Amino acid sequence: MKRYGEHRIPGRLFVVEGIDGSGKSTQLTLLHQWLKAEGFGVVFSEWNSSPLVKDTTKRGKKKQLLTPATFSLIHATDFADRTERNIIPLLKAGAVVLCDRYIYTAFARDVSRGMDPEWTRELYAFAVKPTIAFYYRVPLEIAMKRISDARAGFKFYEAGMDLGLSDDPDESFRLFQGRILDQYEKMIPEFGLTVIDATQPIEAQQQQMRQLVLAKLTQARQLRVAP
Amino acid sequence: MKETYGVSLPGMGLYDLVGKLIVIEGTDGVGRSTQIRLLKEWLEQQGHAVLDTGLSRSGLVGKSIKRAKEGHTLGRITLSLFYATDFADRLENEIVPALRAGFVVLTDRYTYSLIARAMVRGLDPAWIRNIHRFALKPDAVFYLRIGVDELIPRAVFSRGFDYWESGIDLYSTEDMYESFRRYQSALIEQFDKLAEEFHFEVIDARADPQAIFEHLSQAIERLLVAGPKPAQPAAPVVEAAPPGLAVVPDPIPIAERSERAVERREKA
Repeated sequence: MKRYGEHRIPGRLFVVEGIDGSGKSTQLTLLHQWLKAEGFGVVFSEWNSSPLVKDTTKRGKKKQLLTPATFSLIHATDFADRTERNIIPLLKAGAVVLCDRYIYTAFARDVSRGMDPEWTRELYAFAVKPTIAFYYRVPLEIAMKRISDARAGFKFYEAGMDLGLSDDPDESFRLFQGRILDQYEKMIPEFGLTVIDATQPIEAQQQQMRQLVLAKLTQARQLRVAP
Repeated sequence: MKETYGVSLPGMGLYDLVGKLIVIEGTDGVGRSTQIRLLKEWLEQQGHAVLDTGLSRSGLVGKSIKRAKEGHTLGRITLSLFYATDFADRLENEIVPALRAGFVVLTDRYTYSLIARAMVRGLDPAWIRNIHRFALKPDAVFYLRIGVDELIPRAVFSRGFDYWESGIDLYSTEDMYESFRRYQSALIEQFDKLAEEFHFEVIDARADPQAIFEHLSQAIERLLVAGPKPAQPAAPVVEAAPPGLAVVPDPIPIAERSERAVERREKA
């Protein structure tokens, strides 16, 4: 089993992280379109999408059967399936892989639910280290505003209702996302996350993202040519 | 007071787990389920309430694991994590509530089997041990040990060679016999190491089932006579939070959690 940082594979892995309403998915979609247009072999891998595990997770969430421990482990199982069957083979084939949320999402959520931080990190030791992990940093109030404009109500686990922080879903969401923001801030130096100011105009953020990504792709081309 | 192997799960108080956790470990076909059936009957006759449980029986993922294994499509890491999820679900929703209620919990295999399987599949020893650090330390682990040469006739004359018990996912051979032999030998080797590391009581599984039962029941009787431990003082026990973390309130009250477990079992 190769550990985080030990994989030597030709592909490139770019991931976006941030709380809901940070605009990270929008940015990743725009990056995806651009890379396709530029002619790169690019694949999108979503959080929580393993066909084998997804149904269990969905059922566990719907019936509220999940504790912090099983919430953590079932997401790790899903991620492992995607890593073993999807992400690693694609990277070996030299693809550019894009992930909307990665292991840092799990660290932020699990630790906010009271799981041991060291335990949680070691749980994901099999993950491939991303070429760049972008963190879309946004103040909680702005994120809340964006979300409430876009949809009505929060889901049970999304709002951290399982933690009993508040009976009011909006208030619970605010408290839980606040904890998650604190966790992200701690992870910036720990994992070398690339911070993007997500309060900037969408175009400015995208331009910054494309520059950083392009630098890694040119490097990769040169690597392939050089002896 | 019971303890874990180093990591405590949020909301899992360990101070009032007055029951006994007894593990029967061993490779495939050593007679674990026979012994558990005999022990359960005997313990109940003695007036002890018994919960018997085993791997892949959780309400949350048990069925999904079975379905996924039928397709033979799980990666090694994924399978290990699927089992760990199942284990955590049973620990929180069955084993701990039963121990709190004073049951004798008999478990057919425990976290050690999962560690052994992962090791045979070449996974990182530190990684798999870390995952299972939330497991409760049992009151006793009995390891029914058998050599591969004695095991093979048992497999042949009972169920034949099962796909997963032969580790066909591991070896690129069509030869089930050869594969079974290699896989079970590798498992036994891992179990022998774990037996030292975790201080199992090793029992020769070649013996007559009745003799094994007598040995086990005597050992368990000694364990039960030593207890029950007097109830802990009523003062609230504060679980140590991981460093640098705020104490997170219990997500689901324990009583409610065991009710849910009961409901789920009834539905199953």
